[in-house]
Amino acid sequence: MISFCSVSKSFSNGGEWAVQDVSLEIQTGETLVLLGSSGSGKTTLLRLVNRLIKPTSGKILLDGTDVATQNPVQLRRRIGYVFQGIGLFPHYSVAANIEIVPRLLDWPKEKRQKRACELMELVGLPPAEYADRYPDELSGGQQQRVGVARALATDPEYLLMDEPFGALDAITRDSLQQELISLKQRLRKTIVFVTHDIGEALRLGDRIAVMHRGRLEQIGSQDELLNHPKTEFVRSLFEKSSMPNHP
Amino acid sequence: MIEWFQFVATRLPELWVRTGEHILLTGTSTLIAIAIGIPLGLAASRLPRLQGIITGGVGIVQTIPSLAMLAMLLALLNKIGTTPAIIALVLYALLPIVRNALAGLTGVPAPIKEAADGIGMTRNQRLWLVELPLATPVIITGIQTAAVVGVGIATLSAFIGAGGLGQFINRGIALSNHQLILLGAVPAALLALAVDASITSVQWGLRRRRSARRGNRLDGLIRTLALSAPLFILATGCLAVWKPDLLSAGTTSSGDNNAPVIRIGSKNFTEQLILGEIMAQLIEQNTEMQVVRKFDLGGTMICHSALRNGEIDLYAEYTGTALTTVLKREVISNPNEAYRIVSEAYAKQFDLTWLSPFGFNNTYAITLRETDAQRWGIKSISELKSRASELRAGWTSEFSERPDGYPGLREHYGFKFATVRDLDTALMYEALVQEEVDVICAFATDGRIAAYHLQPLEDDLQFFPPYFAAPIISAATLDKHPELEKILDLVAGKISSETMQRLNSQVDRDKRSPAEVAREFLQSNILPSIQ
Ligand SMILES: Nc1ncnc2c1ncn2[C@@H]1O[C@H](COP(=O)(O)OP(=O)(O)OP(=O)(O)O)[C@@H](O)[C@H]1O
Ligand SMILES: [Mg+2]
Repeated sequence: MISFCSVSKSFSNGGEWAVQDVSLEIQTGETLVLLGSSGSGKTTLLRLVNRLIKPTSGKILLDGTDVATQNPVQLRRRIGYVFQGIGLFPHYSVAANIEIVPRLLDWPKEKRQKRACELMELVGLPPAEYADRYPDELSGGQQQRVGVARALATDPEYLLMDEPFGALDAITRDSLQQELISLKQRLRKTIVFVTHDIGEALRLGDRIAVMHRGRLEQIGSQDELLNHPKTEFVRSLFEKSSMPNHP
Repeated sequence: MIEWFQFVATRLPELWVRTGEHILLTGTSTLIAIAIGIPLGLAASRLPRLQGIITGGVGIVQTIPSLAMLAMLLALLNKIGTTPAIIALVLYALLPIVRNALAGLTGVPAPIKEAADGIGMTRNQRLWLVELPLATPVIITGIQTAAVVGVGIATLSAFIGAGGLGQFINRGIALSNHQLILLGAVPAALLALAVDASITSVQWGLRRRRSARRGNRLDGLIRTLALSAPLFILATGCLAVWKPDLLSAGTTSSGDNNAPVIRIGSKNFTEQLILGEIMAQLIEQNTEMQVVRKFDLGGTMICHSALRNGEIDLYAEYTGTALTTVLKREVISNPNEAYRIVSEAYAKQFDLTWLSPFGFNNTYAITLRETDAQRWGIKSISELKSRASELRAGWTSEFSERPDGYPGLREHYGFKFATVRDLDTALMYEALVQEEVDVICAFATDGRIAAYHLQPLEDDLQFFPPYFAAPIISAATLDKHPELEKILDLVAGKISSETMQRLNSQVDRDKRSPAEVAREFLQSNILPSIQ
């Protein structure tokens, strides 16, 4: 369980708020989608969870313990993170990128390689063809899939995914979304998933949190957001969408 | 051209050793600079507050001219040879290495650093697994710059007796011997190119990592070779220093390794090289001792401190120089009085012994082109007075500064020249002949006076002190080997000013080697008298 308790973050010492007074809880095994326009503070919320940045005020609890009291390295190894800018290591091959966290955890080599192969199959990159390629020899979408595989490598309890499918074509995206849905059903992972795309939010989220200018506008199930929008922003957001992906 | 290659062929054994020394000087100093520079670059990238101090510090070092740096280190360490040379080279190599390490490390894109943190790397893991590998090409480019520039700067190390290819260059300049200069300069340039290429090949090898990973055996081998290219150069250097006789046609030079060693020094001009050789050959012929020649040291104070520190045992000094430059005393014009005073002072202050003088007086001689002297009807220095303000003078920087040089001359004769240029001894004569300057301060025994048709002027107001040359030796060495005095006395009083001038011109004009000229002199003048 991840809990935000009145968390605020400003990068300019009391000037503009990147995140302002956000309180919300993500239950164990739940997938929460963070939905919001560009610059609304979604990435900032993820970075706060694994201590890449510190909150200006408020605190974040992971299973009831304040993250600020935990060893950041240990903390981060429990949390798989798919970075918005992909963040692959350009000097490592695809396989080495995926194996990096197991390597930090001193897994034996064979176990590491086996795991990397599994994951590459999972994200649709046949190891025979892709294992020895380097990130700059992949398309943007293929890179994103490697990023997802890397985050899943050690089978972490928590997953923070920052627009992981942004650069994918509709068909690949659909299959990866499907994959993620089955994954979370099988493994009961706690996932925070950031997207711009309302269809994706509706399809993947157990609940959806709508961010706007650093503030949490509303958090709730699809039904609540669609039928009982609390703010004008939320209402207009969902009005515009014709819910193409709604099951 | 062909002539030069033939010349090189005769010098191959020495070229081999000097190249080895040069490689080791550059290699060692580059490796030390890497060991210091990369952590410094790292510190600068981590601690912004230190960044200015570190980059500023290594930058200032760069602005010190290399000869000044060598002179300063010499004064500081009181030591000639490899140590100050390597320290100087390390200091120069630091700037490119530190700068590039800093640029490489700070150039790692922030998102990649954040990803490294975000997946749970410790600071050290991030450094070793991500930042250093990504900064490597830039860091290596810095090392490349440092090493290539180092090969060039290392040629100056010969000034302080550290050997290397610069020794040929120095000697070539001292002897106005272009073949010798090229014997040092061409291999040094080739070495710089080789070092450059070897590091480019490392960069290439690192980029080929990808294809090598894909498991082509031949590719892997080529890549390993490319990566180890600089090691081949270093290995060659080690081999040359370890097996100096590899190219000297089989025969090993010194049979007895237990023979006592005597190290003879010399300053860096023709006469000193000849005197050094004469002393060396005398000792070689008359004792079992093994003579080590540490010639071409870059000046009086370098020889003096080397002798005092026991880095050499013996060299030839001049009474006037000892009096004014070393002891900083007043000029004395009586030769016997001057000799007595320097011997006493050297014995008391430095534990050094003056042996009997060789016989000649190599005093300074204010010198014009013969044509000018005739045209103006000038024979003595005081007659210059009316023309001095139109004449351009050129001489060694030592003469410009020494109290028994230009400053004293100006006062004593009461005139000064229009301009004064500091020139190297060898270049000074060329400059006079080429009419770049009108007056130089030659040495009375210099062979070029006759060779170039120059006219030395009489010192009619007796300004210049006598410069009688004599071997000076450390008292400790003389105690251990008292026979050295008798042996060196064999040439005492045997070299007149005319003889010395002739020997000098055999080297300067006829381009014969000092060793050969010394051998011939000893054979025809000294050896018969012993037998
Ligand atoms: N390191 C930083 N320094 C200063 N300001 C920052 C920093 N990171 C983010 N911000 C600011 O904080 C606000 C929220 O940024 P954030 O990255 O969380 O947005 P986002 O919702 O992820 O947007 P996007 O959908 O475009 O990725 C923005 O106004 C941004 O300019
Ligand atoms: Mg973002």
